[in-house]
Amino acid sequence: MKKLQSLLPGVLSLLLSLIMLFPLYWMFNTSVLPTSEILSLNPSLWPSLSKISFDAYVSILHHTSILRWFSNSLNITLWSSVISMAVSIMAGYSLSRFRTRGQAVMGFFLLVNRMLPGTLIIIPFFIMTNSLHLLNNPIAVILANITAIVPFATWMMKGFFDSIPVELEEAAFVDGCSRLKTLIRIIVPLTSPGLAATGIYSAILAWSDFLFSRSLLLDSNQWTITVGTISFIGQYMVQWNSLMAMGFLSVVPMIVLFFLLEPFFVQGMTSGAVKG
Amino acid sequence: MNTKRSAVFAYGMLLPALLVVALLLVYPLYLALNASFRKGQTSNFSEINQLPFTLDNYQDMLADASVWRSLWISIQYTFFSTAIGFAIGLVTALLLNRNFFGRRLVRTLILVPWAIPSVVVSLGFVWILDASYGILNAMLRSLGIISTHIAWLSNPKYALFAVILPTVWKGYPFFTLMLLAALQSVPVELYEAGRVDGASKWRLFTHITWPGIRTAAILSVVLNGLWAFREFDFIYSMTKGGPMGATETLAIRIYNEAFSFFHQSSAAALGMMTFLLCIISALAIYPLIKEQFFGGTR
Repeated sequence: MKKLQSLLPGVLSLLLSLIMLFPLYWMFNTSVLPTSEILSLNPSLWPSLSKISFDAYVSILHHTSILRWFSNSLNITLWSSVISMAVSIMAGYSLSRFRTRGQAVMGFFLLVNRMLPGTLIIIPFFIMTNSLHLLNNPIAVILANITAIVPFATWMMKGFFDSIPVELEEAAFVDGCSRLKTLIRIIVPLTSPGLAATGIYSAILAWSDFLFSRSLLLDSNQWTITVGTISFIGQYMVQWNSLMAMGFLSVVPMIVLFFLLEPFFVQGMTSGAVKG
Repeated sequence: MNTKRSAVFAYGMLLPALLVVALLLVYPLYLALNASFRKGQTSNFSEINQLPFTLDNYQDMLADASVWRSLWISIQYTFFSTAIGFAIGLVTALLLNRNFFGRRLVRTLILVPWAIPSVVVSLGFVWILDASYGILNAMLRSLGIISTHIAWLSNPKYALFAVILPTVWKGYPFFTLMLLAALQSVPVELYEAGRVDGASKWRLFTHITWPGIRTAAILSVVLNGLWAFREFDFIYSMTKGGPMGATETLAIRIYNEAFSFFHQSSAAALGMMTFLLCIISALAIYPLIKEQFFGGTR
């Protein structure tokens, strides 16, 4: 009985997680089946192994611009994350170590950011982008992503810096290290879990962006993977296996990243920014 | 240490973040506010701030019954996606708070939906909910719950439910995470003491667990609610606000007004109202938020 009780939560939560992951499984399942199998009134939950084919994947690689969209997304995600992290590390450090008015200002804007409807802010973004002749330019989306990421990423970094004892820096100052040098050489390496957490937060937000890229990138050559994928919904004669293959491919980078960095992320969300 | 040089350093480090906020948040917000007071429409978004000043957009908005309908849809959408997400989040957090073999892996699996882009989640659900070949209809039919297939996305009666599903799926890991963090800070000794006193499981929950996670629960509900209230990705990619406006929340309406009908100024007015509603609901829990966002240094 005792043994059963200790096993139960594990079994239950594994079961629950499998149920919750069903949509992902179903996407994958559909992506590896031929159309004749998919358009069935009584779909089978398990594909018969003999029917599995990766034709849909081959087909989307040949017939759509998926590779182009993928590289656009990669480009935008990379720059959005790198710039956001640089900005957030600096701001987070400043907020953690000094008592300035910046504290209240950043707190206020983090709050505003949480309440501002994306569909409202996209209107002035469109106006600004248009007058700067940056429509169809990934720079516009990168800038928009940065605004969405920086406030919260700064708060996460501040939480991580808070957990590093000040004495470490003071020792470095005594040894004649400048403030900036201390930050780069001593403090930042110590917060690598923080960097991982902020990095995954930034990357996932930028990779998932739909509103900004959908509104600011009109040329299909510039589209990101999310905009490209969605452009196939509602078309006549939907090829469900191709569509699911596309959706599945587009989440693979984020799933891999998430599996690698999840512990840091959980730590960052729980110990740093969001105090219960 | 020289305090003046410290202050220069402190603000210098903060400068890029403040610039981002000023140029990409404050200025756009000013542009939007300005646009909401302009009369007429223009095909050129950039010229909108040269139109004459008016209060019409706000008057028309408040007099328009369909705006109030959108508000009601937003409220229903926010309420149900938050309530269901919270329930799943609480159950998963309570389970993950136990010690068992493989807990770390299961936690990662449970949190995965958070990492999936909203529009891909929508895509998966569009297929699951497909009227002819969707697995949901097939399952409900084989269980004998329905006899004819339901057109989840094109029937106005069911469309709102259909867009709530992916929202819940993507949203519950946030609750899991917040509640799990709070649960782990509840001292184990309290439970031991409770058990010694012969308290039932339910009493342990209401007297020890719940008081320990109450603050986190309220905070997460409000933050998730604010997120859902402004949500765009799911609804737009699944229904664009249709069928017949059944899923046209305020956030979707703003976008449609601005980018389908090119009524930028009335869209901006709607946006300002939505923003204001969010501020009001945040003010209601200001004491909790204050601690989180303005908490002192160290």
